[in-house]
Amino acid sequence: MVTAWRAAALALGLTFGAVAQAAAPEVPGANQIVTRTLPNGLKLVVWPDKDIPNVAMYTWYRVGSRNERPGITGISHFFEHMMFNGTKTRAPGEFDRIMEGSGGSNNAYTSSDVTVYQNWFPNSVTNLIFDLESDRMRNLDFDAEKVESERGVVYSERRSSVDNDNFGTLIEQMQATAFVAHPYQIPTIGWPSDIEGWKVTDLQDYYRQYYAPNNAVMLIVGDVDPEAVFKLADQYLASIPAQPAPPAVTTKEPPQLGERRLRIERDAQTPLIAMAWHTAAESAREARVMEVLLSILGDGDSSRLYQRLVEKEQAAVDVGTQFDAGFDPGLAWVYAVVPPGGDVTRTERIIDEEIARLAQEGPTPVEITKARNQALVGFWRGLETISGKAQALGQYEVFHGDYRRLFGAPAEYESITAEDVKNAAATVLRRDNRTVGVLEPKVETKAPVREGAK
Amino acid sequence: MKYPPALRAFALSCALLSPASAFGADGVRLPAFRSATLPNGAVVALVEKRDTPLVSMNVTVRGGALGDPAGKDGTASLYTDLIQKGAGNRTAAQFAEAIENVGGSLSAGAGTESIGVNASFMSRDVDLMLELVADVLQRPRLDAVEFEKARTLAVQSIVAAKDSDPRALMSSYGDAWLFRGHPYGRSVGGSEATLAAVTLEDIKRYYAEQVGGDRLIITVVGDFDSAMMLQQLERSFGTWRKAGAPLPIVPSPARVTGRSVLLVDKPGATQTYFWLGNVGASRTDAARTAQSVVNTVFGGRFTSMLNTELRIKSGLTYGANAAFSRPSQPGSFRIASYTETGKTTQAIDMALDTLARLHKDGLDADQLKSSQSYMLGQFPPSIETNGQIAARLADMLFHGLGPEDVDEYAARVTRVDATAVRSTIEQSFPQPDNLVIVLIGDAAKIRDAVKKYGQVTEMKITDPRFAPVTK
Repeated sequence: MVTAWRAAALALGLTFGAVAQAAAPEVPGANQIVTRTLPNGLKLVVWPDKDIPNVAMYTWYRVGSRNERPGITGISHFFEHMMFNGTKTRAPGEFDRIMEGSGGSNNAYTSSDVTVYQNWFPNSVTNLIFDLESDRMRNLDFDAEKVESERGVVYSERRSSVDNDNFGTLIEQMQATAFVAHPYQIPTIGWPSDIEGWKVTDLQDYYRQYYAPNNAVMLIVGDVDPEAVFKLADQYLASIPAQPAPPAVTTKEPPQLGERRLRIERDAQTPLIAMAWHTAAESAREARVMEVLLSILGDGDSSRLYQRLVEKEQAAVDVGTQFDAGFDPGLAWVYAVVPPGGDVTRTERIIDEEIARLAQEGPTPVEITKARNQALVGFWRGLETISGKAQALGQYEVFHGDYRRLFGAPAEYESITAEDVKNAAATVLRRDNRTVGVLEPKVETKAPVREGAK
Repeated sequence: MKYPPALRAFALSCALLSPASAFGADGVRLPAFRSATLPNGAVVALVEKRDTPLVSMNVTVRGGALGDPAGKDGTASLYTDLIQKGAGNRTAAQFAEAIENVGGSLSAGAGTESIGVNASFMSRDVDLMLELVADVLQRPRLDAVEFEKARTLAVQSIVAAKDSDPRALMSSYGDAWLFRGHPYGRSVGGSEATLAAVTLEDIKRYYAEQVGGDRLIITVVGDFDSAMMLQQLERSFGTWRKAGAPLPIVPSPARVTGRSVLLVDKPGATQTYFWLGNVGASRTDAARTAQSVVNTVFGGRFTSMLNTELRIKSGLTYGANAAFSRPSQPGSFRIASYTETGKTTQAIDMALDTLARLHKDGLDADQLKSSQSYMLGQFPPSIETNGQIAARLADMLFHGLGPEDVDEYAARVTRVDATAVRSTIEQSFPQPDNLVIVLIGDAAKIRDAVKKYGQVTEMKITDPRFAPVTK
């Protein structure tokens, strides 16, 4: 049975990416992607897709908490909030009111590396959305009262995701411990005293330095005509002046000299343990190897850690892994939720045993095939929606330097061997390259009421 | 993030369109689907959609937690955990490997009124997917050792959730308190206390009585041939036995009058999480579209009245919203938000005032138009993926709705006028003095202040259940 998607792809004769031409999957419509870079340096990538009469517009700015310093930690994320809070031509709140009233919705997120603004709207209002997006790229204004009330919003966000969430607390402390030099040590939400302290002038500096067209990429996916989109870009975006390139982040994290450990005591019933190892930047081949390694170790019920810790030994309620890297070398994470009253040192010992076994014996051929299949399915799932496509294009354009590398991803995973994984387990998951964090319930005392930390 | 992901969930839902399907000024339409009823009563709907080499399958089994024995909340949920731990000729570990080796996903879970088995596989692995789904439903091993493990894990997961972001627990406490004495008040996942009472015999009885071919709704969407798929489904599911007991019947829950407060003590919490609810509307309520049009303005989007007051204007919270949950009988309507401990009553007062203002002022013409545009614009992406379409079809079939549920969505939204808005506010939105109020926070610091809302019942977050023990 030749299905429609295969037939379509065959007809196109796609040739993406030198990396992996042979195995590049045939993605329907991918040959219709077109790009344009405006004279001010803003690059647009447009993927017409008429599946639904809607559009996803993602604008990526190359700025995140990695660009911060003590005193203004969290400001990239706070800035993200202020992008919705008024321009010289539109009062605070108008951006959202107009967008939602015309059928659109939006959101945004900030990471250590990037800040991404997402608009989802019916294609009939594409013109209006360009108007709104260009207005805040050109004319953002900082209303002193809004700055104050928005501080409260961000503080509330911090309380839910960090302060009142034990995992959030543990991860924040570990990140700050794993990096002694590189700004990946900074929590993206910001330290409390900085949330209380940043000033309007800090925001103005940030806007000038980082919110320039030459520091951004715009991905537009959906039921649009690319030429019409480029016309709108010329009309609304081309006259926004370019700025000098923002200062580069030059600090490199020095090699770790030995295991670091931290321990948190909290009102809690379930102990937590997490480990984080320094690894590669997102664009490095080692990053793909680490993803495969982490997936074999702890992704899914058939993974080594889940089978051993949860199924066989009941030494964890849940386990998981996470690969966190961006422009610069990041961290590979393994974590476990220990049963109430459970022995954290036992859980840690079992994790160590499984890592040692993987480093010694390497993965089985079945595990390698599994990881490749999961990567392939992940690739396709990411392309199921116009939002997923915009996100995937942005990820590859920004972190890998070329959106076309997206289509080489399955082949890149295919190229990862058992030997690669075995080596990475031995060379990256070393004791002296890791930070171990443990969160344990406070030892019960007779004191009837415990006050929260100040 | 600008906005908590949970608040975005209400917008979820539609987008499909096989190449032949159409959309226009009157909105998106459901793609052509092939439907059939198998000899044992199982209902099937199939959609071919070939833009990715993936297939999604949704099996809905009517009954769900409604079939839990008294005092044993979590039986259906534990049953769905256990059927994934060994089925057919595979042990638990072999079953997980069979799914994950090909990059597939398969999960089973219980809901208030149904059990769901969801699978997503590459189209090349569709035979394996059908085999695994059939095994999970018809040939679960229900092994004693796996049962003890699953039960222990379920209890521990609840305890772990109590150490995490309280936003995830608010509706567990809220529903338990609002619907106390009614089946909708049962914790679907159980509580530490009720799970302790569930035995393997309960699970086996649940399987015999509450699961069977006549309870099935099977929807499959994606890259496959529907004639062949129908044959395969007939072979795999068409002769399966029927459920041994009748489908549980749910009475319509009564609305609450007056106010009562449940305070869940979480010592050291730096925020208070609040949930204000009453009985709302059912999935098939004739006024459901008008309710959504009103709620979009009141608490269903970023610029809603609630989020404007509690977040945008005052900075009291990261998010405030309102939502209807719509099972077959009227479910909950609830307002939810959170704020730093010292501002608890300021934020709750503001939420109550905003609800009072909705009743007093209604919606003006601009608000009505804005809401309609928003709903029309956000609908297509809610039925975009195979999984979304499979879930939507299953939901429609479950509630006896036809394709018009999607095809006439735009027309229904456009038809809502000022009169409908006014009567819907009156009939479907509670008055601020008729609410159940549930709070998670540091009781020592807010206990006295919240007495003004009504009689306060207190429990601890470490209590092994989601509702206080009643006398």
